[in-house]
Amino acid sequence: MNRPLVILLGVLTLGAAIFAGSYVAGRHACATVMSSTDDLSWLRTEFHLSDAEMARVRQLHEGYQPQCMKMCAKLAAKKVEVVDMLANGTNVTAGVQQKLTELGELRAQCQAQMLQHFIAVSQAMPPEQGRRYLAEMERLTLGFHEEIEQTMDMSAKP
Amino acid sequence: MKEENSNPADEKLGVLLRESRLSPSLPPRFQENVWRRIEDAQAPAKSSVTWLEALVALMLRPRFAYAALAALMLAGISLGAYSGAQSARHDAEARYIASVAPNPLR
Repeated sequence: MNRPLVILLGVLTLGAAIFAGSYVAGRHACATVMSSTDDLSWLRTEFHLSDAEMARVRQLHEGYQPQCMKMCAKLAAKKVEVVDMLANGTNVTAGVQQKLTELGELRAQCQAQMLQHFIAVSQAMPPEQGRRYLAEMERLTLGFHEEIEQTMDMSAKP
Repeated sequence: MKEENSNPADEKLGVLLRESRLSPSLPPRFQENVWRRIEDAQAPAKSSVTWLEALVALMLRPRFAYAALAALMLAGISLGAYSGAQSARHDAEARYIASVAPNPLR
């Protein structure tokens, strides 16, 4: 291999290493600076909330959290009941059906409570941001079920 | 030797031998083609070496080297910062969603 080619390859390798090092350093520094332990930091940056709006949203969030945890505990307990009943038999008995219905109702109550919270939070924001927040929350939380239902529709079609 | 060369019979014999030897005819434009092939063989090698050497010489100039170093670092840091910001934003969004809508609710 001739000398200019060796130098060229060396320069290109060095350039790639410098670029990669700068990329990793920039990414790490930015992620460190922007990372936060506050659950609500995303709301402030994404929806450009003022301190007063953030204070109101935080108050709503802190009020909602215990209710959410309580409902989650109820849901987890109901799931355990369903799993226990299924483990004891090989058929979907009336008892299992009853438990599944209760689980579904509990999940629906939980979702209704969650949507109510989203609406309350959206009303604490400027109107345009509130609409965007609500649409985004519905997409992120309920959109998952819609996707599943759509795939079920597709597979049901001949 | 001189005696042998001065022999008239030998001279006649030599002339006859030269005349009897057949010289093969060259293909048309033989000489021109030979030169063209020589030039073709030399030309690319010469130009590639010049191009590579010129590039290396340019890269090794301090002004060019510093400018390239600065450009690479700037591009790397900018792209890294953008990617880091996207990643941090995504993490913050996921943390908020997990706090208001735990997995069993979704």
